[in-house]
Amino acid sequence: MTQGLTNSEALIEYRKSRYRILVCVDGSDESYRGLQYAARLGAAPDADIVLLYVRPIDQGLRTGGLQVRVARENMLNWGLELPGIQYLKKGRDMLVGTEELANQWEIHSAHADVVGDPLGDNKIGYTNNQGKSIVLKLKTASSVAGGILDQYELGPYNLIILGSSGRAGGFAKNLWDPAIAEKVAIHAPCSVCVARELETGHGMLLCTDGSEQAMEMVNKAAQMSKRVGAEVSILSVSLDDEGEVEARENVTKAAELLRSLSIEPRNILIETGNPVEQIIEAAKSYTFVAVGDTGRTGLKRFFMGSVAFKVMEFANNSVMIVR
Amino acid sequence: MKLRPFSTEQIYARFNVNFLGNVVTLMSDFLIHYLWEKRWFFFAVIVGAGIIMAPLPEGLTEDGKVVLAMSVMATIMFVTEPIPLPGVALLIILGQVFLLGHDSSIVAKSLWNDSVLFILGSLMLAVAIVKQKLDKRIAWLIVRITGTKTSRVCFGISVISGLLASFVGEHTVAAMMLPVGITLVTLTSDDPRKVRNLAAVVLFSIAYGASIAGIGTPSGGARNAIMIGYWKEFFYDPSNPETSKFIINYARWMLFSYPIFLIQVPFVTMVLLFTFRPEYRDLSRAVVKLRQQVEAEGSMKKTDWVAIVMFFIVLLGWVFFSDKVGMGTIALLGAAAFLVAGLVNWEDINSGVNWGVVLLYGAAISLGIEMKETGTARWVAENFLSVLSPIGVGDGFGLWASISVLTTAVTNTMSNGAAVAVLGPIVLKMASVAGESPIIIGFITAISSSFAYLTVVGTPACTIVYASGYLKTTDFLAVGWKMALISTIIMLIGARLYWPLLGV
Repeated sequence: MTQGLTNSEALIEYRKSRYRILVCVDGSDESYRGLQYAARLGAAPDADIVLLYVRPIDQGLRTGGLQVRVARENMLNWGLELPGIQYLKKGRDMLVGTEELANQWEIHSAHADVVGDPLGDNKIGYTNNQGKSIVLKLKTASSVAGGILDQYELGPYNLIILGSSGRAGGFAKNLWDPAIAEKVAIHAPCSVCVARELETGHGMLLCTDGSEQAMEMVNKAAQMSKRVGAEVSILSVSLDDEGEVEARENVTKAAELLRSLSIEPRNILIETGNPVEQIIEAAKSYTFVAVGDTGRTGLKRFFMGSVAFKVMEFANNSVMIVR
Repeated sequence: MKLRPFSTEQIYARFNVNFLGNVVTLMSDFLIHYLWEKRWFFFAVIVGAGIIMAPLPEGLTEDGKVVLAMSVMATIMFVTEPIPLPGVALLIILGQVFLLGHDSSIVAKSLWNDSVLFILGSLMLAVAIVKQKLDKRIAWLIVRITGTKTSRVCFGISVISGLLASFVGEHTVAAMMLPVGITLVTLTSDDPRKVRNLAAVVLFSIAYGASIAGIGTPSGGARNAIMIGYWKEFFYDPSNPETSKFIINYARWMLFSYPIFLIQVPFVTMVLLFTFRPEYRDLSRAVVKLRQQVEAEGSMKKTDWVAIVMFFIVLLGWVFFSDKVGMGTIALLGAAAFLVAGLVNWEDINSGVNWGVVLLYGAAISLGIEMKETGTARWVAENFLSVLSPIGVGDGFGLWASISVLTTAVTNTMSNGAAVAVLGPIVLKMASVAGESPIIIGFITAISSSFAYLTVVGTPACTIVYASGYLKTTDFLAVGWKMALISTIIMLIGARLYWPLLGV
């Protein structure tokens, strides 16, 4: 479908009309669970899924002066596959398996050279007769987070999903160490979902503070919950007893918005205390916490931090930062 | 003069519309990210400036203080890498000209010596050897000797990787053997989950086999050549025939460290099998398929034999003639011979060698020599010893062990060549201050620098096998500490019982 559109602006316009999900896989179970969730989100015909594996550019200095490409070229000569390709193929099998339409997909592929790397970027796209597409992409970038963000630039996405396994600050850092998830969440212009022990079926918890951004978040998250058919609950945290009235107003406002979208909220919660702690505590019984980005940039974020990012960093379940 | 009342909103509003306001906003966002990304660079600069401005400590010259500041800055940057490492090399060169006021031609000359030529030539040779595609033959040779039992195949891989790596460098062997290892694993099972432990054992057999062998001969790794260069620079005095023992040639190095490597090999396999417990005890399925692949290659070609013979000539040159013409010269001769014979393209060499490494080591050695000449090395060594002496490790075996631990700690955080380049001048001066043999201390440092089993970036071989995607960083921790412990013990026993027999 996208092949016919050669004009890049037209392509971007076309893409804006689709619900596009970028799923970053790294071969870990977490990332595949994120992918399964993406498959449910993207089951509708107007959704596209892009699977991305980002490989860091090899550093020759670390190898005593012999470039890693020498080893890689040697591997290719043996007819061996490179690491990311296996992960992507597995992801594709998972997606196509759920569709049961495997033979109706049309395949096209593309390749782009990257300076300093023998493999460059590779892309395989699958399109079915309804115009729905699944793209597998192996990307080379100087850093993983940078690669994911570059991929956003190539085509706007509605949601980025990445897996996060293991806790922060460990000596052994995973490929998706919190730093990567955090960097993507801070810089990506779209919603970002950090999948952690993602178990579907417990519904979504929306955290609102009554601000415009929060209402916008409720709106978007509601649309998302429609796609997966998940139940929605609302939470507002007041800093002290005096703020409880305001918190009640906030949740009522959000509940009204949900009802206007014909979604009946399951639970309506009001907590008092430190927002970050309360949100994390309340979130334990849900699949997802959705928090709105407070919209702070640069200096302010640097010095003041944000509830959204603290929740993302410390929560034990999946967190979605909605923009 | 009357002050106008104002509100902050007004100021912000006025600020935001004009051009300057936009520039400031842009800069603040940009600066925050830039400063944060490069925080270690600025940290290093501030530390360096602090040392230069601090009052002169006793026993150190003004130039010595500048060199100390440069070394500290370089070390911080080697570890944290805020800028590309060859950039650090450029800064070292600039520092020598601007801070120490040396003539630029003299600095340029100090960047090149036999050790650097040797590193350069060895890297070119390494690419030439990998390009000969002898890996399938080697793989076949291994399984023909060992049979199909997993434990025996892994031992065979470690031995052959080690024997090769000790002469051609661990990075070369890791690059050659990586496809062999992965082929054995993928032919056993397509599902990576079913062969996770097997993959770990096979790939670590390559990486650690090559790593422990990197100490075996001077051509095993850049760090060895750097240490040889330091011995000569620090202790050799042409007017004093007594000091000629500080010129360690290829054969003498092998005499010291080859036995240490050989003793370590069986431990590698034992530790790996014990730690990972592979899923398959027999690899016959993979071995049969591998044989089919090798047979498809046909018999050895003439060019293969030429390459092997040429490499042996280079090896003999290192053993017998490096005293007279220098090891670097022979390495260059080998690289030139491969080019003349048309066995390798310049393009392959050009894209396979990271030239920044040569620059980096050149600059690091030049800084190390500067440390000796300004007396900084001696000053740091004396201070170090005054810390170590009260806890009873200021001399003898205690000093050896503490130097080994220090080197292991440093080498796990930076490339091992850089570790030896940075530590070399200090530990050699420590040896002469404490009355220990600089040769034993030097060997301990050079050998300990290969104990970087804990991290992916520690040794070249580990970095290369990690690039295959089959290993996790936690695997390196799980098995690395056992290896580091065993290697340290074996080396210290060797240093205590074996090296004194060689007359140092």
